[in-house]
Order: sequence, then C-alpha cells, then structure tokens
Amino acid sequence: MSAPAHPDSTDLDRLHAAVKREKEDLAPESQPAPLWATFLLMLIAIIAGSQLGPMTGGWSFDVSNPFALAGGGDPRPGGAGAGAAMDPFQMAMKKGASGYSVCGGCHQGNGGGLPGQFPPLAGSEYVTGGTERLIRIVQHGLTGPITVKGQGFNTPGGMQAFGGAMSSQDLANVLTFVRNSWGNEGTMITKEMVQKVRDEEKRTTQWTDAGLKPFADKNVPGEIPAGPGATAAAAAPPAAK
Amino acid sequence: MQTSPSTPDTDLQADNLRRAAIDKSVRGPVLFLFTNGAFWLMLSTLLGVLAAIKLVEPEFLGDCQYITYGRLQPAHINALVYGWGVQAALGVMLWIMARRSGQELKSGKSLLITAGVFWNITITVGILAILMGKSTSIEWLEMPKFVWPVLLICFLCFAWPIARMFGRAFRPEGFMVSTWYILGACFWFPWIFITANVALHCLPGLGALGAGIDAWYIHGVILLFFVPVGIGAAYYFIPKITGQPIASAQLASAGFWTLAILGGWTGMQKYMGGPLPAWMSAIGAATGVLLLIPVGLVGLNHHLTTLGKHSAVAASPTLRFVFFGALFYPVSGLILALNSAFWTGAGLQFTQSWYSFQVVSVYGFFSMCVFGAIYYIVPRLSGCEWLSVRLIRNHFWFSVYGVSTIVIMSLVAGWQQGADLNNPEHWDQTFMNHVVNSRAYVVSRAVAWALISFSNFMFLIHLLLMVAGLGRRSSAPTLLHHEHDDHALPAHA
Repeated sequence: MSAPAHPDSTDLDRLHAAVKREKEDLAPESQPAPLWATFLLMLIAIIAGSQLGPMTGGWSFDVSNPFALAGGGDPRPGGAGAGAAMDPFQMAMKKGASGYSVCGGCHQGNGGGLPGQFPPLAGSEYVTGGTERLIRIVQHGLTGPITVKGQGFNTPGGMQAFGGAMSSQDLANVLTFVRNSWGNEGTMITKEMVQKVRDEEKRTTQWTDAGLKPFADKNVPGEIPAGPGATAAAAAPPAAK
Repeated sequence: MQTSPSTPDTDLQADNLRRAAIDKSVRGPVLFLFTNGAFWLMLSTLLGVLAAIKLVEPEFLGDCQYITYGRLQPAHINALVYGWGVQAALGVMLWIMARRSGQELKSGKSLLITAGVFWNITITVGILAILMGKSTSIEWLEMPKFVWPVLLICFLCFAWPIARMFGRAFRPEGFMVSTWYILGACFWFPWIFITANVALHCLPGLGALGAGIDAWYIHGVILLFFVPVGIGAAYYFIPKITGQPIASAQLASAGFWTLAILGGWTGMQKYMGGPLPAWMSAIGAATGVLLLIPVGLVGLNHHLTTLGKHSAVAASPTLRFVFFGALFYPVSGLILALNSAFWTGAGLQFTQSWYSFQVVSVYGFFSMCVFGAIYYIVPRLSGCEWLSVRLIRNHFWFSVYGVSTIVIMSLVAGWQQGADLNNPEHWDQTFMNHVVNSRAYVVSRAVAWALISFSNFMFLIHLLLMVAGLGRRSSAPTLLHHEHDDHALPAHA
C-alpha cells in the first residue's frame, strides 16, 4: 500500500507503538558450525543405520520379525518360512552341538574319547544302540568297568549324572547330536522320551554297566518327528501368511 | 528505537504503516483462531485432568458412561490437537507469512472466518461424538469419519492465502529461514491428513497395516506440522526480539531439508516386532533416530544465535516462551529416538513414554513457541498491551513445571512398564497389575495437567481481555523484568 504523506500524529503514535518499537527483520549470518557437531551428527547417523541391516528382514513383505535374517525364515511357530526353520531334527542338531561342549571335556570334540580314560562316542554301541540305556547313562551317570568298542575303561568316579543340571529338552538335543555325529546314525531322541525316563526312574546313584544290561537294546517309545527313522511324515509347513 | 541512522524518517514511517496495515488486514481471522484455540486448550487440559483421574479412580464422578477414561482420553487429545493445535498454528502461520512476505490479506477475510467457524463446529460435533461413544478408535482420528473432509476444506481455506502470500512476496536473501517452515506446514498437513484418512476410512481390509498408517499419521502431524510451525515461530521471533541475526543460514537450510526429507518416514516403529513387514518398522526406527540430525542442526543454530543474549529471556514474555519451547525441541527429538531405536524401543513400546513424546511435542515444544508468538502478535492486533505481568509469569511457570512433570513422569513410567512387561518374572501376572503399578505416575500426570489447566485459565482470561480491547493503553510493552529494559519508558508507565 502507499503510505499517506503525513501519517504522523499523537494518536497514531500510540496505536502503532507496538509496530514502531519492533526491530528490523535481519538477514541470517553465515557463522561456521563447530566441528564437534559434525562428528555428533555422524554418530547419530551410525546409530540410525544400525536400525536397518538385518532388522529389515531382507526387505521382504513376508517377514515381520525384525530379528529374522533374510532367508532364515521366521522362527516363531506359524511365522513366514516356518517349514524350513522349524525342522525339529535340524534344530536339535544345532542346539545339541552347542550343548555338547559340556561332554567334549572328556569325550573330546571329535567324539573319540581318550584311550584308557574316557570311552569314545564315535561308533560306540552304547550311543547308537538302544535309546533307553543312553538316556539313563546321561541322566543318572555311570561308574565301574565298561567295555566300549573292545577296549576296557574304568575311570575313577565314573561319569557324573547330568539329569539334574540339564532340562529334558537340552538333554534330548545333545543326545540327538551325539547319535548323529562323527559317522553315527541314530533316531532322534525327543524331550518326551527323556521326560518319560525321568518319570520312571528316580535313582540318585550312578548306574553300573551290569545294571544297565536290561536296557541295552530297548528304545524308549515315542514319536520321532524327524531325522533318521522318523515315525511321522514331516509336518506340512503351516500356510504362509 | 529501531531507527537506523541511514534510513530517512519518511521511509521508516511508511514501513511502520505498511506493517500496521498488514496487521490490521489479518486481525479478524488471527484473533478468531487464537481465541477459539485458547478455549479448546482450556477444555483439553481439563479433560486431561479428568482422564488421568479416571485412570486412577474409575469411580470418580460416578460410573456415567460419557466420562469413562476410554472416551475422555481421546476427547482430550483431539481437543488439544485439532481444537487448539491446528487453530493456533494457522493463526501464527497466517500472521508470520503476512509479515514476512509484506503482503496484506487482500480479500476472503469472511471466507476465513467462515472456515474457522466451520472448523470449530465440526470439532465440537466430533468431540461430542467421541464422548457419546461414536469414536472410530483410531488414535488421533477418533472423531467420526464424516468430519475429515470438512476439516480438510477448512484447512485449505487458510493454507491457500498463506501460500499465495508466499508466491507474491519479494524474497530477499534470508527470507526463507522461517518462511519455508510455514509454507511446508501448509502443504504437509493436507498431504498427511488426506493420505491417512483415505487409507483408514476408504480402503477396505487394511488389517494390521491400518495401525501402522495411524502411527505414521501421528508422527507426520507432529513432525511435519507442529514441529515446522514451532521452529518457524522460533526462527522468526528469536532474531526479532534479541536483535541478533540467525547465526547460520546454511545450518537453517540443512535443518529444514533434513526435516522435510525424514519427517514422513517415521511412525511404524511403534509396531516393531509386530505383524507388519519388518522393513516398515526398521525404516521408522532408523528415521526416528536420524531425526536427531535436523533437531541438532536447529538446536545448534538457536544456541549460536542466542549465545550471550540469554538475559533478554528474563524480560520479554515472547522470547521466554519461544526460548523454552525451542529447548523442548531437542528433548522431543531425544524421546522420539529413544522410542524408535530397537535397542530402547523394545522396552518402551506400548507404554506411557509414547504419551510423553506426544505431550512434549504438542505442548512442550509447539504450544510454548505459539504462546510466545501470541504474546507478540496480539498487542499488534488489538491495539493494547498485555495487562498483567503476573498472569504471564504464572502462565509460563505453571506451564513449564506442568509439562516437564508429565514428560518426565511418563518417560519413567514407560521405562518401568516396559521393564516389567519384558521381565519373565512378571509374565504370569495379569495386565491389570501393570496398570495398578503405574498409578503413581498417573496421579502425577493428573496433578501436572491441573497445573497446566490453571496456567491456561489465566492465559484464556488474559487473551479474552486483550481481544475485547481492555488491555493497557500504553506505548510501552509489558515486560517481565525491568533490569534489561532498554526502553526509555518504564513498562508500567
């Protein structure tokens, strides 16, 4: 608008007082930003970037678990790709391998044992034979002389009982791993089987070889969901969401 | 006092008159928006008190269905966001844009008032509908679905003249610093509002994605509407009052564009680990943290600008509100980052800390900046000065203490709730136990909203007196403190 030539008057002074005392609009300056700010912002970007990566589930529309790696499937029951991820035998082998670290101290990482001290597991008839005897040995321990693969062993103190320290699931995983490693092949041992033995036998002392004779060739009855000698056909993967 | 020696007197007079004319041209719509907004804010804070009390003591005021927590809480938030937030923001946007562009509001004043009236009627109907139990149960969009086209049209009635002023303005160097935030808010709000409403109300069978879209909407409105208006006001008023130019045009530019680029990507991390494709929440989480960059740039710029000028905060009501509002911006950014990152978000998910973010953004940051703007703008529109220093001071301190209490308490409550929910020791407990455990925090929330209610009661009375033209007749501003007063006249002449 065009300003009147003589706008000034006392009244206008008061009316426009607020406007008159205003400071001018100032153009911004170009002060430099401190260097530490740059590093701070880089740090923020790094933290932000770490929210991506595996958390994105491989940018797939089918993966809703931020912790599932691309292609690994969703480990939750019924999750996407559940069929591949949920094979109980593979799962037991994987978990048993890490659980075996408890056993490896004596029986060695290669399952070969130590001659004269600790019997081998690889190719051992005690391992690949009846599941009932194997479960009982680990559950309650074993002492006294024993002959494995033609060699005699009599370790002082014998083997301790692991049943108290491990859950039946952990025990089953380790036994499945032992029965299917280093050339061994055997049926899977499930949590239910271990639990069945636990419920039947509550002894607190270690077994002797002689005491286990009745169980030498006995298998604990139960479903074998997967792996060698599976009784049930592999469960159909749940319908993909 | 702003006379620079080189400017001839007549030019200055012309400039003063031009600005006075601009103020006069936007007077009606801006005062209408501020006054109605202040009424809604009053109502919203009262509903906030009531909702918090009902959460602790469900029998309070009887078991009438209209005032159950489930209806009061959405009514409280909707009144805060649409009744107060958007209206006050539009008023500030209109005034700042008119002043920055040097354009008067030429025509369509009656259209703006009409749109404002429709906006208020629609919100009234919508909030009554929530209290009657007709809520859509979509967070921040609880009002029945017929309201959104009306609100959208009303908003566009205001956004159009603001964008037009920008288009016609002479744009000198540095013009953009506060203006682009205002202009951005004009375009971003309709975009977010249309997208969310069309998706949630018109597309069938969204399923879980609907919840994600809603979370995106809430973050969009906060980050691309409330935050830009708050920053725009801060960038305008801080140099205006301190007389100190914005420290860095480059930082301002970077801060704006990073916000513009990142603001629309976040929100879905609210459902991290939930039934949405993982990448959606991963992007939301990454962006929620990345948003600390625009926060840091703006914060740094304000810090460099006000360095050594903090004494003015004691004197000027506008600067005090804007300054503390601007301080809450980094706080809101940090809370958003905490809620967003997988690391901490897994604990804070679905807890009160999300309420903390909403309150710190909408009240702590946005509203404080807007209060500052209102304390500056209204004397220019009503032709009189603020009546009482005490009312302003009480408004400020009760607001600051109230909002800080809510934010801190909700954050701590969220941390505790999340830790309890994730703790295997608590997995056999009923959910009710967790609700009972957080009672103490909700009590503090009720007290804090009561403080804020009190502060806004004083603000409302003060504003109404000003709008009625009953303010002080003086040519000196109402200042909070006289030590740093460089005016010849004492404030209470």
